[in-house]
Amino acid sequence: MSETAHQDHIEKKAFLVNSSSLKEVRNFCRDVFEKLQIQEDLKDELVLAIAEAAQNIVKHAFKNAASPTELMVVQISCENNKLQIAFYDRGTPVDPKKVKHREIDNVKPGGLGTFFIQEIMDAVEFKDGKKPWINHLVLTKQL
Amino acid sequence: MTYKVEEIDNKRIIHLDGEIDMEVADKARNTILPLIEAGHEVQLNLSKVEYMDSSGISVLIESKKLSEQKNTKFELIEVSKPVEKVLAMARKFL
Repeated sequence: MSETAHQDHIEKKAFLVNSSSLKEVRNFCRDVFEKLQIQEDLKDELVLAIAEAAQNIVKHAFKNAASPTELMVVQISCENNKLQIAFYDRGTPVDPKKVKHREIDNVKPGGLGTFFIQEIMDAVEFKDGKKPWINHLVLTKQL
Repeated sequence: MTYKVEEIDNKRIIHLDGEIDMEVADKARNTILPLIEAGHEVQLNLSKVEYMDSSGISVLIESKKLSEQKNTKFELIEVSKPVEKVLAMARKFL
């Protein structure tokens, strides 16, 4: 846990659902974490967790089917030193019970992503998506 | 991501740089695996890779597995700090 008091802040951005957006997602996160003055090592880990979650949306919620119109929204908020990252998408509904990391003999691209997210974040929670969204994932971390 | 391949006898030293994510994982895979498939000893230099996620780790695992099948060598010779951190995290799982 950080001893630094981070300012309260909220920012969100929409991205097209495709693998080319992942770099933009990372850059958005880096910018926000820069504003929040999050320490470099933690920033790298948080960017990785967020990028893995965004990758899961592209890979699993949309089955890698790039769409010129479908969006995913990433919202980063910090309140009382608690960081919350929310993801919204309109892909295939996610069954939280089926979200688990792969066995090592079945490693494929993105297969370790869920493990990384769980390692880095304090909590990973799928909430009911409210219209127009279908999936609503929330990652939290106490700073 | 860009790459350069050095040839020394049967050894191929692959230098990757930039960011290795889902978008470029296939490019990395298609650079490394054919060289292992052809029986070359492959060394990977990741000292200039600024970011790597689980897609990149998966390429490394696939490369290692293929090298074992082909009875040749695959090794990392240099890694950047960001790659080292991701590898350390992956080792907890592997």
